[in-house]
Amino acid sequence: MFVKAAKAISPQYTLDDRFLNGEFVDEVSPVYRAIEPDYSPLIPAGLLRRMGKAVRIGIGAGLPLLQEAGKVDGIILGTANGGLEDCVKFLNQIVEYDEGVLTPTNFVQSTPNAVAGQLALMSENTGYNSTHVNGSLSFENSLIDAAMLLEEKQQATILVGAIEEFSQYNYTIDKHAGRFREIPVSNSQLTKRLEPGSICGEGSSMFIVSNDATDAQVEIIDVAQVTSEDEKEVEATLIDFLIRNQVPADEVKTVALGRNGDARTDHFYTAISNRLTSIESTICFKAYCGEYRTAAAFGLYTLFQLSKHPLLDWNGNQLHFIGNYALVYNHFDGIRHGYILVKKLR
Amino acid sequence: MSNESLKLEFKEHLINYLNLLDTTPEQINDDEALFGGDLGLDSIDSVELIVLLDREYGIKIKNPQEGRQILVDVNTIVAYIEANRTK
Repeated sequence: MFVKAAKAISPQYTLDDRFLNGEFVDEVSPVYRAIEPDYSPLIPAGLLRRMGKAVRIGIGAGLPLLQEAGKVDGIILGTANGGLEDCVKFLNQIVEYDEGVLTPTNFVQSTPNAVAGQLALMSENTGYNSTHVNGSLSFENSLIDAAMLLEEKQQATILVGAIEEFSQYNYTIDKHAGRFREIPVSNSQLTKRLEPGSICGEGSSMFIVSNDATDAQVEIIDVAQVTSEDEKEVEATLIDFLIRNQVPADEVKTVALGRNGDARTDHFYTAISNRLTSIESTICFKAYCGEYRTAAAFGLYTLFQLSKHPLLDWNGNQLHFIGNYALVYNHFDGIRHGYILVKKLR
Repeated sequence: MSNESLKLEFKEHLINYLNLLDTTPEQINDDEALFGGDLGLDSIDSVELIVLLDREYGIKIKNPQEGRQILVDVNTIVAYIEANRTK
């Protein structure tokens, strides 16, 4: 599965060149919120006024890619929670109005497949349309679905991606569960100051993938996942994954790690890094995008960009895609672990 | 509540329920067609309007033919509210 193009709406300026040029948003904040563009050239006002944030950022990143790619054979997205704000509004209305008359818009916008559906409507795409809602492995499962679809077809192009929006309601629950910190920390310090919890983020990352390698920057070789709290099992899954793909561990020289500054589960990243004995380039992508359940998609986005040109780290040093192979490794809660093996083509 | 005050209140509800971004009550003319006009409302908005009338004024519109005659402009809706409101 070859990646031809990518776009992201994130807490960084990823829709223009500022992120690529090292102009990072570095704010002390309890939430790293997505920076939304002016949607008016892209989305008619009549549609925009109904859209929740998840739909907006999904369209904002996905529709330009669809317009550039022309006809695509499918749209496959992953999201753990979809339009959560609208969902909470809708559920509250059920209680507030005693299961009486309910507004349709909140319901329509809150379903997780609203984004893929709206993208299909706006691009007049009648192909395969699927949304994977598998918690923090939603994006990994979207990639597996895309790979299977590409195996079925002789020549196909697919939009694949992930979306997650910030919801105050869910944030409060997650914070009570210890996932997010009481004291905010800046992006640049997130992974340097290990404490219990992380900082909440949000965003959408979209990719045009194909089984045709022409003009592709990178190839997604394989995807693996495991649900486990056992570090040894997490390491063993990586080793099996590499063996299955006939990639020696010392040939993976570039990694995108989901380190999120959480002192309780950071050891998984250290363990995986130690298994890959020849790492020369590491990008910790959650310092840019914050923690959310489909943040691995932003990890893949950073690797894709790294394959085209160097990125700067927080100290102004250049990061490169070194070697032929790279790994996106991410986990959520130290329980659900995803691995995406990537090969640089040119 | 005076007719003018009710019109203003209804327009505020209209903007809120339909999430009419960047629109103020002053920009909505009383005799401006809600559907097919500059506001660009559509069939989903008509359902939102029915919900608005139910929640804010206790009015239930069940007959679609009746709805077509009521949901024309601010004047027709406010006249119907004044005649039929239960709260």
